Amino acid sequence: MPETLHPHPERTGKPDLLPALTAASGEGFLEAVSADDMDEVALLPGALHAAVDVLRSYGFNVLLDVGCTDHLPLSPRFEVAYHFASIDPKRRDPKAFVPQFRLRVFPQDADPIVPSLSGYWPSANWAEREVYDLFGIRFDGHPDLKRIMMPDDWEGHPLRKDYPLRGTGRRFTPGGRVGPIPPTRD
Amino acid sequence: MAIDLSAYTDNPDINLSQGDAGDSFVLSMGPQHPSTHGVLRVMLKLDGETVLEAEPELGFLHTGIEKQTEQLFWQQAVTVIDRADYLAPLSNSLCYVLAVEKLLGIDNIPKRAQVLRVIFTELTRIASHLVWLGTHAIDLGAMSNFFYAFEMRERILRIMEFVTGARMHQSWFRIGGVALDVPKGFLALLDEFIEAFPPRLRDLRAILEGNVILLDRLVGVGKIGAEEALAWGLTGPSLRATGVAYDVRKAFPYCGYENYDFDIPTHDGGDCYSRFLVRVREMHESWRIIKQAREAFPGGPVVIDDRKIVPPPKTEIQHSMEALIHHFKLVSSGFNVPEGHVYSNVESPRGEVGMYVTSAGGNKPWRVAWRPASFYNLQALKRLAPGNLIADVVAIIGSLDPVFGEVDR
Amino acid sequence: MEVSPHHPFITTKLDDFVHWAQSSSIWPMTMGLACCAIEMMSIVSPKYDVARFGAEKFSSSPRQSDLMIVSGRVANKMVPVIKQLFEQMPDPKWVISMGACASSGGVFDNYAVVPCDTFLPVDVYVPGCPPSPDALIYGIMQIRKQIEAGGKREVLARRA
Repeated sequence: MPETLHPHPERTGKPDLLPALTAASGEGFLEAVSADDMDEVALLPGALHAAVDVLRSYGFNVLLDVGCTDHLPLSPRFEVAYHFASIDPKRRDPKAFVPQFRLRVFPQDADPIVPSLSGYWPSANWAEREVYDLFGIRFDGHPDLKRIMMPDDWEGHPLRKDYPLRGTGRRFTPGGRVGPIPPTRD
Repeated sequence: MAIDLSAYTDNPDINLSQGDAGDSFVLSMGPQHPSTHGVLRVMLKLDGETVLEAEPELGFLHTGIEKQTEQLFWQQAVTVIDRADYLAPLSNSLCYVLAVEKLLGIDNIPKRAQVLRVIFTELTRIASHLVWLGTHAIDLGAMSNFFYAFEMRERILRIMEFVTGARMHQSWFRIGGVALDVPKGFLALLDEFIEAFPPRLRDLRAILEGNVILLDRLVGVGKIGAEEALAWGLTGPSLRATGVAYDVRKAFPYCGYENYDFDIPTHDGGDCYSRFLVRVREMHESWRIIKQAREAFPGGPVVIDDRKIVPPPKTEIQHSMEALIHHFKLVSSGFNVPEGHVYSNVESPRGEVGMYVTSAGGNKPWRVAWRPASFYNLQALKRLAPGNLIADVVAIIGSLDPVFGEVDR
Repeated sequence: MEVSPHHPFITTKLDDFVHWAQSSSIWPMTMGLACCAIEMMSIVSPKYDVARFGAEKFSSSPRQSDLMIVSGRVANKMVPVIKQLFEQMPDPKWVISMGACASSGGVFDNYAVVPCDTFLPVDVYVPGCPPSPDALIYGIMQIRKQIEAGGKREVLARRA
């Protein structure tokens, strides 16, 4: 995690957004940073819903993306990054300013659980399933949390840093025998 | 769906009962299907031919691109990133290259490189929309459009091959500019294309735009309003077809897009026909941008002058020890990018493609988290398909224009 | 094949005749997976025009096709699907593994991509990423040569 920098609230055009977020997150608030591209707030999972309520009340009506990063060997290891934008449904001026915001949620390392946003946005449904499939983070309150990219009987979460690039066993080989993985070059 | 079965009730051997909502069956519109534009499986719960529920199933093209980029140097990762959205490879690499340039703090990309990036990204946009037009029209039964559209696309691919060496998956963008300068004859080829495109676009529009069959099949199908579209994360032409004028090229200009005069076509219908119109008009706007970029084609270098990031020209390597060492270092172990994370977005033909790139200070990306436009566009199928017929599902998938390399990565 | 000079007959061997019919009307199945599928679609386009060789009828139903062109990277989830489709194709059938990803995994040396010769008997490998449409047409020509020579892999042994 980067060192705490001074936030620049004018980035989002909403000066009292940051104090409102800090107040709503309470104990879950970790830090507020003005990163290179947009403002962001780092949180613990418990504060996510409160922070999202505040963001929605400030007009951030679009969930752009739910992404995850595995910072192994650092701890906390997982970072779930939510990107929000504020786009007016009646937007007619293409050049109008679009505020963006990022929330970074750090769940616990062992058995990570984060509250689900699928109640707020239907677009969070698949994005959270993908994070679950590839990283193993469970989303509390998700209607249908199951694998989306890998086959249903796959073991392991491929995008974790301790999962080898070539996988743990060849599933398909001539003759159908499970074979060893050839060694990598480096 | 009430059906009149009185003709059959006279026959004592036939015992039919009218179907009700509980009498539905599940059809797997399977991963291999001519009209799903790739490997998509849609589990359709049907009542007769009407769709009650549609649940797309993904993962049939999952390639582990994001994990692969973690094992390649920063510049090498462009090769695998190209291969995700395979209809618009340069859009993906542009997003990635912009992200890395932001992390490195490079803001002095030469003008010629910016113009080349714009020309090629817009050519890619036109090529992608031509494939969309050809395949969407074939899904609806209009086969001749496919040939016209692909013939035009071949000219674009010829330009790509002439300059970058590859028809698809050019991997031509470098962090700091573009790989090599354009050869002599590029401007002549580009001028030929600029002249040939508008009559062909007019032909394509004339065949389809006012066509009764197309109107019947697309108008009112898959209708969605602006607020719902934003809630479902739609971007790109699918969002602009609901009236929201959001285009990353205008909202967050990159590569000098603010210097070009182009419009963002929008339409208020929110249905398949609006999406169709928006994309066709976008082709024209892209052509306008290419024309303006061609007229203002500047000279100068095509990469920044920083030898720690961009290898020196080959002629210099032959007589300068320092240049040789720089080249060796870059090829054998790449360059380091300072620690940090950034979200960069571009307007790909499908919508907003974003990449949340995290660097841990090393010479390989720590994580490239992709915001794929088609992933979110396709999820809206769950909302758009119910209530329509199976044939409309095909039209809706075509109008959302998903590319499964990007959806599954 | 002999053309009789006095009577309106052509005599040939049944095998040759059947092979001529098969190789002149190869019906590929639309197994378009990824980027190679776009180049596969391009062979039908006017510039490359595979209709000259009789192979422009891309049949979506495996029951009515004889050539499976595995065009694109094969993910783990897709393998049982492709196997089932291959089994549904009636004999005689041929397989072209198009592109680097289908042949060997290509650029993607990872957990997710499976080379298609681990579960399919491949007749012709077409390298490239993606192979240009001419390369794919050349691959289809190789299939024709294999058909005319009368067997899948005998052509390699016979023609030194």
